[in-house]
Amino acid sequence: MAATKTAKEQKYDRQLRLWGDHGQEELENAHVCLINSTASGTEILKNLVLPGIGAFTIVDGHKVSGEDVGNNFFLSNNSIGRNRAQAATELLQELNTDVSGNFVEESPDKLLDNDPEFFHRFTLVIGVQLPESTCLRLGSVLWNANVPFLVCRTYGLVGYMRLVVKEHTVIESHPDNALEDLRLDQPFAELKSHIQSYDLEGMGKKDHGHTPWIIIVAKYLEKWFSEHNFQLPKNYKEKEAFKQLIRQGILKNEKGTPEVEENFEEAIKNVNTALNPTKISSGVDDLFNGEQCNAITSQTPAFWVMTRAVREFVQNDGGGNLPVRGSIPDMIADSEKFINLQNVYREKAMQDASVVSKHVESLLQSVGKPSGSISEQDIKLFCKNAAFLRVVRCRSLAEEYSVETVNKDAITCSMDGADGEMVLYLMLRSVDRFYQQHSRYPGVYNYQVEEDISKLKLCVNSLLQEYGLNVSVKDDYIHELYVFCRYGAAEPHTVASFLGGSAAQEAIKLITRQFVPFNNTFVYNAMSQTTATFQL
Amino acid sequence: MVQLVGSLRKELADSLSACRVLVVGAGGIGCELLKNLVLTGFKNIEVIDLDIIDVSNLNRQFLFQKKHVGKSKAQVAKESVLQFCPTANITAYHDSIMNPEYNVEFFRNFMLVMNALDNRAARNHVNRMCLAADIPLIESGTAGYLGQVTVIKKGLTECYECQPKPTQKTFPGCTIRNTPSEPIHCIVWAKYLFNQLFGEEDADQEVSPDTADPELSWNPADTEARATASDQDGDIKRVSTKDWARSTGYDAVKLFNKLFKDDIQYLLTMDKLWKKRKAPLPLDWLEIQKLACPQEVTGTGLKDQQVLGVAGYSQLFSRSVETLRSMLADKGDGAELVWDKDDPPAMDFVTAAANLRMHIFSMNMKSRFDIKSMAGNIIPAIATTNAVIAGLIVLEALKILSGDVEQCRTIFLNKQPNPRKKLLVPCALDPPSANCYVCASKPEVTVKLNVHKTLVLALQDKILKEKFGMVAPDVQIEDGKGTILISSEEGETEANNSKFLSDFGIRHGSRLQVDDFLQDYTLLVNVIHCEDLEKDVEFEVVGDAPDKAPTPPGAQEDKNVANGNKDSAEPSTSSKAPAEQDDVLIVDSDEEEPSSSTMDVRMESGGHKRKLHDAETGEASAKRQRLDQPLAADEEDDDIIALD
Repeated sequence: MAATKTAKEQKYDRQLRLWGDHGQEELENAHVCLINSTASGTEILKNLVLPGIGAFTIVDGHKVSGEDVGNNFFLSNNSIGRNRAQAATELLQELNTDVSGNFVEESPDKLLDNDPEFFHRFTLVIGVQLPESTCLRLGSVLWNANVPFLVCRTYGLVGYMRLVVKEHTVIESHPDNALEDLRLDQPFAELKSHIQSYDLEGMGKKDHGHTPWIIIVAKYLEKWFSEHNFQLPKNYKEKEAFKQLIRQGILKNEKGTPEVEENFEEAIKNVNTALNPTKISSGVDDLFNGEQCNAITSQTPAFWVMTRAVREFVQNDGGGNLPVRGSIPDMIADSEKFINLQNVYREKAMQDASVVSKHVESLLQSVGKPSGSISEQDIKLFCKNAAFLRVVRCRSLAEEYSVETVNKDAITCSMDGADGEMVLYLMLRSVDRFYQQHSRYPGVYNYQVEEDISKLKLCVNSLLQEYGLNVSVKDDYIHELYVFCRYGAAEPHTVASFLGGSAAQEAIKLITRQFVPFNNTFVYNAMSQTTATFQL
Repeated sequence: MVQLVGSLRKELADSLSACRVLVVGAGGIGCELLKNLVLTGFKNIEVIDLDIIDVSNLNRQFLFQKKHVGKSKAQVAKESVLQFCPTANITAYHDSIMNPEYNVEFFRNFMLVMNALDNRAARNHVNRMCLAADIPLIESGTAGYLGQVTVIKKGLTECYECQPKPTQKTFPGCTIRNTPSEPIHCIVWAKYLFNQLFGEEDADQEVSPDTADPELSWNPADTEARATASDQDGDIKRVSTKDWARSTGYDAVKLFNKLFKDDIQYLLTMDKLWKKRKAPLPLDWLEIQKLACPQEVTGTGLKDQQVLGVAGYSQLFSRSVETLRSMLADKGDGAELVWDKDDPPAMDFVTAAANLRMHIFSMNMKSRFDIKSMAGNIIPAIATTNAVIAGLIVLEALKILSGDVEQCRTIFLNKQPNPRKKLLVPCALDPPSANCYVCASKPEVTVKLNVHKTLVLALQDKILKEKFGMVAPDVQIEDGKGTILISSEEGETEANNSKFLSDFGIRHGSRLQVDDFLQDYTLLVNVIHCEDLEKDVEFEVVGDAPDKAPTPPGAQEDKNVANGNKDSAEPSTSSKAPAEQDDVLIVDSDEEEPSSSTMDVRMESGGHKRKLHDAETGEASAKRQRLDQPLAADEEDDDIIALD
């Protein structure tokens, strides 16, 4: 019975409503690595520990400083001088006893030197406040190991994130404006005969007023087809005419005035969306034609095996259409009629899914894998979401940083626009250059600020020159030089809090494989409270 | 504050440690905010929250742990912050901000007030207090992945109440009692039933068939038939549902047959109701037991997300009645239970009763999980969104304290970068609305009502308190004599409560001066007498967005009946609800048409802008707007309801 609830269900009630119990399960199976438990780092991890990831490991070779204690909620005065990874792990662990916390007192560089495979075990690696060189090294290790990498940085009043993932597949993308999958333009046999079982003219008043709108639209569509050479009402005028046709079907009383029949009103209201022709979106079509879909091997991930199986279905069984989704919206109808109609769609969806399942089976067999290695449940979920499949492919850090492959267009286009965030991105790249040359960030010491401004300017110019970026130098951008020097690479807590929320949210998307993560660079300007995303 | 010197001016950093700020609410946003404030260098912080800690808070309210469940949020939040930042000077109040102790003088102690609230009544109140004390206010809210922050400064920006918000959705009594057509009607009915049986009885929450339904035009023969029916079945003429239930010893079977068989059969005698509707089907306990069908379970996954069959819900009904009966008995004579969505037997009872009624009225039954969302108006809440919003709040706070209020923005947080690749959408603040009935220099409103049918009590509770958000109004009639109609002093004007406005000479064109001394707020109310208000509408504020679609002309005749029918009065909302859970109705947006939106739109202007913005990017759509509304509708983090 539904009466008892487990403690977990209760604790996670408010988030289960967003990603469901299967999303929660993914979270609980995840092991996240955080590099550097600075303020931004612990803020991100806090937001992952609270909703209950399975485990985390902090990698950090630093000792806790007074500055750390000043801006990091998870480090306290008595931890000054201790290893930062350990101190932060202890306090973060307190937030949620379901989470297993681990730490490694090493710098990421050392780990990369001695045991790069250390990082292969994680579901996701989050690197915070990393120097450019470490970031690029780690980026390439993770890229080759297919481990998603989220680079995060708080620099004064600027926040930055970069997602580096070769390929991230999403079955449940939770689109905002999904159309229902009703197939009214090309009803399948079972739906056709169900529609036939209704006789709107011959039924009583009560039944007439409780016939689901889907049936009403389908009935009048038959009529319309017979009069219009089997063409759907296409333009505004035809759709209005079609609505009028339905309106004429509303029962009239003895005096000839139309009755109030809400189901008919509902039918009229839904005409526009219900008449959308059933077709496969270009996004899904691209997936079907992709390389991963063509060459199935024993290494092919389940997502692509299922995509291929759905493609087989479309070509061989579905008459060019995806498997029926099987859900219908709530509508005015009596229970019996509604449930009967719902069952027509649901049963068809189950049939389609089992056909897809057969394709999955033979695909698996063809590459020598056990047929049960993809579960029926997964296949059903996949079929249900087949219209919304999404694949995110990011460029690698190496591509972004190489002079040959830099995305010059994206940078120059964004510079021309009104947005200042691209300038901030270039400034971040410039302070990294400054760090490489001077082994410190600009403006760290007050007495050097003036001097640093001109040094930083040189870095900016050499960066632009090296990449052949012909961008106009605005006043704003001179201003940024001063501002960036004033930051002295500080990590204000409130900016870290913002970044902690945003980065953890992306991490949850990646782990649960629900919703679509950004691709691939995100910049936050805390002065103007604006953000931008770029594909770099 | 080493790191701040880099990014913030030194004077600002100094002023942070000197200034005193108030945080109203220590929930999802409140916890994050307290942390951000101390780590940004704020030293003197006062925090107030009347709530206690619940298990379902722990997935995001990180200052609380399992061992704190049941304790004061404000107090524990303070202690947890001090553990990490012992140098902060924090004062915690486990109290309602609407308590008269927190008067204008109290508010003047602060440089800045930050709301981290979850209900509209408290937001309205703090808005007024900050206007009266002329203290800047930062207002915020989150709902799932969406969030919003804005700044309110007297004379410079819109106040929280500048844009009229649609009133919270309530349902006509007869829809609840006689002719439910949506699951939410059955859920509201089940919650009323809970109160009628186990909680505080409320005349506005009747659950029995309503013989004065305006749809039953007066016809002696009908009435006679019904009278006979009720004579035959003495139970229907009960004194009160509770007394009757008590007399049966809360016998679950008797209750079941009364509610789901006898009452439904009685409803069937009102045959006018069923001419155009599908008639309900009474359920009989014995027959259901005979069915004893194996439990049909639809949906997979968690137990909560399964839909049981009628037999299953009958069992659940009987078991929860038994549990609640013994809980009530344990509490002793005259005790009452309070409905709480997080209390399993109470939630089971509502799930079972609502589903049985849905079945009777030919609706599809719903899972406990879904019913909980609707009954508790649960708004999903996660740590990440609150962290983002709290980060934004402090940055706005820094602008205010640096004297740059002009630079402040209303900021919306999207679920994911929008088509223009923006996750955040900042909008410039609007100037105050000249017609605002709160922050205008001489606030004035015009209210349409029937002076012969509006009681003084209704003026006080439904119009002044509920609609205009006052806490303790005094009303004087501008009749040249200064007649005091309502006094906030106890024992002075209670005798007036049960009289009609017309008894005091109030008529078309009368003016009432209404004062709330706590809020330091005076409102002039112009009365327009109106005989043809819509069915179930007691009053209408002129200039408000109409909540309901115009009624077809055919329904006109019904109205007089409606006005004469006290039971069809709208179930009232906030005045009866516990203060901490009284907001926004956010139920089940998937089944609501956008036009009949049930959402309380907070910051209407903001929502408006957002829509414009979305329209610009060609993204506006019905579904999208629904998503926006809860955001605009705010919701700090928790629960929130409006319907009880």
